[in-house]
Amino acid sequence: MLKFVVRRFVWTIPVILLVVFFTFAMMRQIKGNPFQVTERAVPESIQRNLDRKFHLDKPWYTQYYYYVKGVFTFDLGPSLVQRNQTVNDIIKEHFPVSLRLGMLAMAWALLLGVPLGLLSALKQNSITDYLTMAFVNSGSAIPNFLVSTLLIYFFAVKWRGTFHLPTNGWDNSIGGWKTWILPAIALGHAPMTIFARIVRGSVLETVQQDYIRTAKAKGLRWRRVVGLHVLRNSLIPAVTAAAPLLGFLITGSFIVEFIFGIPGIGRYFVISVTGRDYSVTMGITVMLSAIIIVANMVVDILYGFLDPRTRDART
Amino acid sequence: MATDVDRRRDFEATLTRAAEGRVEEAGAAIQRASLLRDAIHRFSRNRASVVAAFAFVMMVGFVYITPWADSASPYNVDFSKAYLPLSWAHPFGTDEFGRDLLVRTALGGRVSVQIGFAATIAIMVVGITYGAVSGFAGGWIDNAMMRFLDALYGLPYLPFAIITLAIFGTVNFWTMVVALTVASWFTTARVMRGQIITLKENDYVRAATALGARWYRILFRHLLPNTLGVIIVFVFLELPGVVLGEAFLSFLGLGINPPKASWGTLAQDGYNSYQEHPYIIVIPSLAIAWLILSAFFIADGLRDALDPRTRAKF
Repeated sequence: MLKFVVRRFVWTIPVILLVVFFTFAMMRQIKGNPFQVTERAVPESIQRNLDRKFHLDKPWYTQYYYYVKGVFTFDLGPSLVQRNQTVNDIIKEHFPVSLRLGMLAMAWALLLGVPLGLLSALKQNSITDYLTMAFVNSGSAIPNFLVSTLLIYFFAVKWRGTFHLPTNGWDNSIGGWKTWILPAIALGHAPMTIFARIVRGSVLETVQQDYIRTAKAKGLRWRRVVGLHVLRNSLIPAVTAAAPLLGFLITGSFIVEFIFGIPGIGRYFVISVTGRDYSVTMGITVMLSAIIIVANMVVDILYGFLDPRTRDART
Repeated sequence: MATDVDRRRDFEATLTRAAEGRVEEAGAAIQRASLLRDAIHRFSRNRASVVAAFAFVMMVGFVYITPWADSASPYNVDFSKAYLPLSWAHPFGTDEFGRDLLVRTALGGRVSVQIGFAATIAIMVVGITYGAVSGFAGGWIDNAMMRFLDALYGLPYLPFAIITLAIFGTVNFWTMVVALTVASWFTTARVMRGQIITLKENDYVRAATALGARWYRILFRHLLPNTLGVIIVFVFLELPGVVLGEAFLSFLGLGINPPKASWGTLAQDGYNSYQEHPYIIVIPSLAIAWLILSAFFIADGLRDALDPRTRAKF
């Protein structure tokens, strides 16, 4: 087991190197110089000094070496556009916002998705089942931007008097919890439909198991059977789906952050691309990828614990 | 896309189950004509999928026929007609420049659907080639290619799409297709490799090898045609993600340039005036949802029709 964990852990290093290389190679293809975005011409000598400072005068492999060194020492370099900030500063400032938003969205998705799936499975083929699944299926296809806009339209504009929710903005202190509600629901909507479908499917499978029949046969109350046996066993697929989804939620909130004007990492990524702030674009991409790679690793190791058969199959 | 992750994973799981079953009875004679007829029969008995197929064709028809049948111009600016409500003359109303939204929704849909199909085909070509090469070659080549795929698997595709668009510097139909393909072909490649590997074990492939068939004959005559069913299902599983990805990029202002439009840019227009005219964002978004949902149900029906053993329990 230890061997498996170590092997899986060591394997993430070349993977991160590869992703860094991939990103690095792509970023080098983008045309334009970050120092010439402004109308002011930069004098030749200053340009040379800037190039030297940021290693832009070196060949690509030297630049790559410096960058990889930076990645593994958690130093992603300075921002090329906002001169007084490093990429680390920017990530430190914006990532906690995205992280909290992602966590809240996940909580919403689980709190609503799991009961919906359970309800619709226990009442299979009833009108409740059909209505729930119609809601879940149609909900899974509606784009994020419509969900967000409708939430704002109804809860922050039309029924403002009742709910007192702001239309946009984000306050990361505890007192700002009102600004969290709508974005979290908007972001958690799609994963909620996923959880509902997964839980419904696995509950339908679980209730056919022998131990459920045994539990019923020995006279256990149905409510207790559901709570004790059915729910616990059908949550495993949901949990395994949750880990990669969390990566998606933390990283994939571009639209929600855009609409609600949330100063998160996704919104800043788009700004950095249009502003040709290479080091920030790269830094964010590498960081997001690293999060997902590490999440994948954690899931694989967890799988290894839960199901010993997978240990040899995956490294 | 996050929304269809579970569907794809579920599909992958049922595929493995089916493949295991298939290996067991490998060698059983398959009569092709009856298999196809069987599949069509089973598909037509699945009411949800038939409705979905009908809805899908309807949407594609709407997108192509409306601009041609409706005389309203999608580009003419007429401020006296700005923000007209829904009416007989303008069933979807007009936008801030007085342009008819029915025609614009249809034209925007044309862009979205075309980009969607083109990118899906690109994903299929890249994924199938990669997966087939990896699975067919086997050995250390397969190992290396799969390790590479594992490395890229699960990467967030939007950042890479955005960087790709930045590399090109311009946004047009083809750059959009490339951007949407760059980080989206991994699942297809993986499934394809699995298919080739299990098919390779079949007796008829061994027989062909024993008879001296060259590798390309085995690959193109025996292996690839047998993956066709899986490929067709995957087309309908990938299409929604691509259409949604294009809409996201356009919504963020990184998509097709005005006055041309896609559903994403129309939705962005609508977002800018959602407080006064909420229907402008609702209509293109529902069009996207319509297309995505029908594609998913078609995929479900096809999966069940092509292999009854994979019939999902829910």
